[in-house]
Amino acid sequence: MSTLDYLILIALLTAATVVTRSFFFLIGGASKMPIWLQHALRYAPATALAAILAPDLLLSGDTLAVPWTNPKLLAAIAAALFFLRTRHLLGTIVMGMFCFTLLRLLLAA
Amino acid sequence: MSDTETAAQAREKSAFWDALRTSTQTVPGLVAWGAVTGMAMTQSGLSSWQALLMTFVVYAGSAQLAALPLIAAGAPVWMIFFTALMVNLRFVIFGAVIGPHFSHLPWFKRIWWGYFNADVVMAFFPQRFPENTPGKTVGKVGYFSGLAVPNWLGWQSGSVAGILLASQIPPGWGIGFAGTLALLAITVPLVVNRGALAGVLVAGATAVLAHHLPFRLGLLLAMVLGITAAMAVDRFGAGTSPRRTS
Repeated sequence: MSTLDYLILIALLTAATVVTRSFFFLIGGASKMPIWLQHALRYAPATALAAILAPDLLLSGDTLAVPWTNPKLLAAIAAALFFLRTRHLLGTIVMGMFCFTLLRLLLAA
Repeated sequence: MSDTETAAQAREKSAFWDALRTSTQTVPGLVAWGAVTGMAMTQSGLSSWQALLMTFVVYAGSAQLAALPLIAAGAPVWMIFFTALMVNLRFVIFGAVIGPHFSHLPWFKRIWWGYFNADVVMAFFPQRFPENTPGKTVGKVGYFSGLAVPNWLGWQSGSVAGILLASQIPPGWGIGFAGTLALLAITVPLVVNRGALAGVLVAGATAVLAHHLPFRLGLLLAMVLGITAAMAVDRFGAGTSPRRTS
């Protein structure tokens, strides 16, 4: 890919970011959204995050990982319990990474 | 006049610091994710300056990751663009949630703030400003920037580190998992009622079952089905919903 090609590609990829993210910012005030749609959108953050998380935690490559030997899933369960108790986000990340690394090494052995 | 101006500025500033306190804890997760994306860019054959340019202006990790194999395979530019658009479709929905809160701003500022409406920003903003508050503008720009700034800085510093240190960090360490953990901790408090719980379970299951769909459309399908499930539970589930929807 030549330098010019690459610059064109980067410009297009940036456009893809701006078009999708800013679309409703730009036209947001133009029309009032119906109540049911406002209600539906209230669940957009949680469902989007769950949809990003689940494949990462449950799949290994293209197939379901065996749950009790899957370090990511086990560490995530521990981290979620830790978060529910402490409500501390940074501590959850540290604790989760510690469990993950420990399990990864133990399960590999 | 200058008195009211400074008062308004002070309110935005305090909202900014509020948001900063909330969101700085996610920064380690974002750094880890950025680093993984940066490493992936370098390892797929982009030069350092190409990878740096991509991360600083494109600023959309999942689209960048989706573009990499296509670039490596020499796919046509329009096809890479189309793929990025599809992968980014969830941001259209995010914009529908956040965008109305900024309808009082001029168009160029709306585009500007829209550009920064990434996943973590999206997760926190509605907790402070629910969907019935678009008319009230106080503190919103301040709060939004207090979420967007650490998000951008964390992501970009991770990316730069990943690009420059790509060969130093063994992929087996799985440092990207820190990003997953940050998302997990953000998701848990969003499960506020049975509807949200149903939505999260259905969205997660759908995303797993549909992960093979092209352009990461499984993510979009998961959101649609998850939201539908959440609304169905709100409407029909045991009639215990505290808020009538109609």
